[in-house]
Amino acid sequence: MRHALRVIGAEAFKQHRRMFGGPLVVFSMLIWPALQLAITYYTMLPLLETPGIGERWPVAAQPVRLLAFLATGAFAYMFYFSLVQSAWHFSFERISGTMELLFLSPASRFALVLANGTGALVQNTWLAGCFAVAAATASGSLHVAHPGMYAVAALALVIPALAWGTFLNSLLLFSRDSAFLYTLLDDPLWFVAGVRLPLFAMPVVIKAIGLAFPLTSSLAVLRGALLDAEPLSGVAGPLGLLGVLCLLLVAGTATLLRIGEARAQRTGSMQLY
Amino acid sequence: MVTAWATLKRNWLVTRRAYPWSYFIGTLGPGIFTVVVALLSYRAIGGGRVSAWFGASSGTSDYLGYVTVGAAALMFTTRMVLWVAKAQITEQREGTLESQMLTPAMRLPYLLGVAAQAFITSILELCCLLGTALLLGVRLPVPDPVSFAAAILAAFVAVFGLSIPISAIMISAGEAHITQNTLFCVVGLLCGFTFPAALLPAPLTFLGELLPATAAMRVLRAATLHAAPIQQVTGDLLICLALGCLYAAVGLLVLPHAERRAITRGASA
Amino acid sequence: MMRAIATDDLRKTYPVVERPWWKPGKPLRAAPAVDGLSLRIPAGQVTGLLGLNGAGKTTTIRMLATLLRPTSGRATVDDLDLVKDAREVRRRINMIAGGERMVYTRLTGRENLWYFGQLYDVPKAQLKARIAELLALVGLEHAADQRVERYSKGMRQRLSIARGLINRPAYLLLDEPTLGLDAPIARDLRAVVADLARDGVGVLLTSHYLAEVEQLCADIYVIAAGRLVAQGTPAELTTMAERQHTVEVSLAAAVDDVDHAVETLAMRTGAQITTGVDDDLRPRYTLRHSADLAGELATTIVTAGGAIARLEVTPPTLEDAIIALADAARQPSAVAS
Repeated sequence: MRHALRVIGAEAFKQHRRMFGGPLVVFSMLIWPALQLAITYYTMLPLLETPGIGERWPVAAQPVRLLAFLATGAFAYMFYFSLVQSAWHFSFERISGTMELLFLSPASRFALVLANGTGALVQNTWLAGCFAVAAATASGSLHVAHPGMYAVAALALVIPALAWGTFLNSLLLFSRDSAFLYTLLDDPLWFVAGVRLPLFAMPVVIKAIGLAFPLTSSLAVLRGALLDAEPLSGVAGPLGLLGVLCLLLVAGTATLLRIGEARAQRTGSMQLY
Repeated sequence: MVTAWATLKRNWLVTRRAYPWSYFIGTLGPGIFTVVVALLSYRAIGGGRVSAWFGASSGTSDYLGYVTVGAAALMFTTRMVLWVAKAQITEQREGTLESQMLTPAMRLPYLLGVAAQAFITSILELCCLLGTALLLGVRLPVPDPVSFAAAILAAFVAVFGLSIPISAIMISAGEAHITQNTLFCVVGLLCGFTFPAALLPAPLTFLGELLPATAAMRVLRAATLHAAPIQQVTGDLLICLALGCLYAAVGLLVLPHAERRAITRGASA
Repeated sequence: MMRAIATDDLRKTYPVVERPWWKPGKPLRAAPAVDGLSLRIPAGQVTGLLGLNGAGKTTTIRMLATLLRPTSGRATVDDLDLVKDAREVRRRINMIAGGERMVYTRLTGRENLWYFGQLYDVPKAQLKARIAELLALVGLEHAADQRVERYSKGMRQRLSIARGLINRPAYLLLDEPTLGLDAPIARDLRAVVADLARDGVGVLLTSHYLAEVEQLCADIYVIAAGRLVAQGTPAELTTMAERQHTVEVSLAAAVDDVDHAVETLAMRTGAQITTGVDDDLRPRYTLRHSADLAGELATTIVTAGGAIARLEVTPPTLEDAIIALADAARQPSAVAS
């Protein structure tokens, strides 16, 4: 355990030196999401002042509430996408030859992929996190049932995101075409998870697919707890699903790492698929 | 002209042998999802209707057609920029930029060759997006053929012009990822692809007018959604061509400096 | 306990056409890369592993580094099984491969070493001193706090060597460690390797530079097509293959009698003879024989009325021996072992 903690610390530091202060973080975690948020907002605007909007979607009745709805989506998506990005970078280590050095060391493989995700999350999202808190406070768009729900919302975002990142790291570690996975996890992810659309607007099939991604439930908890003043019982469903998904992701990571390393040892190639 | 033809042929061969699927999916995806999100929100949020002011500021009440044409144009822009603006930095990464620069060939025909191949490929790819939109139930009116052709020319010149200074920025910074994605977000917001640019605050609308893609969008929409005859779009067409040529000229002027910088940096690295 | 890396009938067969992992069944076609190797790499000496390209050297090293799993056979490190006790083995070994980008460019040299120190669980109290010691060893103290992206190729390679030593490995696997290094740096590295061996580290070295192998290795294994073809000290190996002295003579001018006399000499001694012209278009004779025929050839030429413009003798080398042994191994009936 002590060694695992050292591995996590070292890996997070490596991430820090690689990413911190680089313009990519500022652009991909702040500027692009902000511009994209504006595009989504303006594209949706022509649909708002239509008859009966109050019944169909009360959120859309006030621009500030709509913006808060879309901004929480953008924020949570950025959390998850930062992990896709980090896993993508991690897969480059295979090409540059440093991946082999990690496997040469006695460090726990699980600790390595977990640390890589944690490091990325901390590096990437603190800046946007500060902005989000400031914007939410200033706009007065937060409606919370109980102060404890802030913690529930934060945990429902961070822990599943970490499980997701850990899983992605092991997935992209052994993938032949990580650029393809990267692309696959960008647009389809925001679409099925309801980042830019309320879930009621989506067909049942898409909603069902969306439930397989933790982002969907994280977002449901986040919006419920912070925007709609839901109590704990109001978000119990998505929280339970998040718990199950986290367990599945962790089990998936452990399996992938075992199969991947065994295959690498057998074939001399780190590509699993 | 020989250079343009040779470059077109070279890129055509390379693309046929190793088609960049990741890029294609990466640009088709946002296009399709933009159309799908518009479709779903039009039905579920707008209840099949659109705000009254939309017709006034956009000139049409066909929200889905409006967004689809915009998404297609944005995909075209993205693809062309990915080919043309990234042509030189790709050469740099593959180590062929120096051999390029050793030849007496001019930059303009080279970039035109790249753009010609990119244009053919992008149009074919666009058909995939429009076909998908059609399957999803979006219906577009039949455009006026002359102004439609003029609109496509305008879009080509606008994007080609924009790509050259971007290429210079990329090779002198030795970086493409941040530059290209920032450009896509900025034109997506300022040029009125999926919503009327007039909705933006005035300073942003003004900035949008400085980009050739904004005028190109107006020509394209007039041609496709209103079947406007060529006389109606001449003003915007001229603005777009003038801005496109201006950007291209500025780009060609700074490109030699950027190339020298790229080579110097490559040598010191 | 035996202080050594030992392998017994080690085999590695790569599945050439691999089924996806979700489809059961045997690999479709297999090519043996290592075919029944039994080696012993004792602590405290440098052991060489030689062979032509594709002989299986790198596969062997990567199996010993736990990066590849043997298809069959057994390998132990200080009696620890390479497969079952992989984690403990990893603590005791390290590998340095030449010509590779095996460090993080965005970190400084010191940070790279710190990072790997954490991964190897080097005790905290020792890590700082260990890093300083290694930086001094590879001569990077002045650049320790610079980012590696600003390092030259040689500096990166030296850092990579320091990385390979961070866990004080009991065994060090060196795969072409001096590939692409400048001569002075390569010389320093050889000195470091010799010192490590003196201090009790067991080193396995593959290298294309045979002078390096001759200088460092107490014992050499020669492999071809994944099999052991010879083992011995450098001197033993040199004599093991058929000795071939090469004598090359250029004449000032062509003389018919000399031609005849040299051919007679070759026929009498059984030497291989090649005739031709040298770069200055002078007649040239090349004789190959297990004995050094230089003296006899010179006498023959002068007696027949020829004038010698140039004479060169090449004694048999380790390189000749390796090539000869590898060639012999290609014909199964002639395998020496």
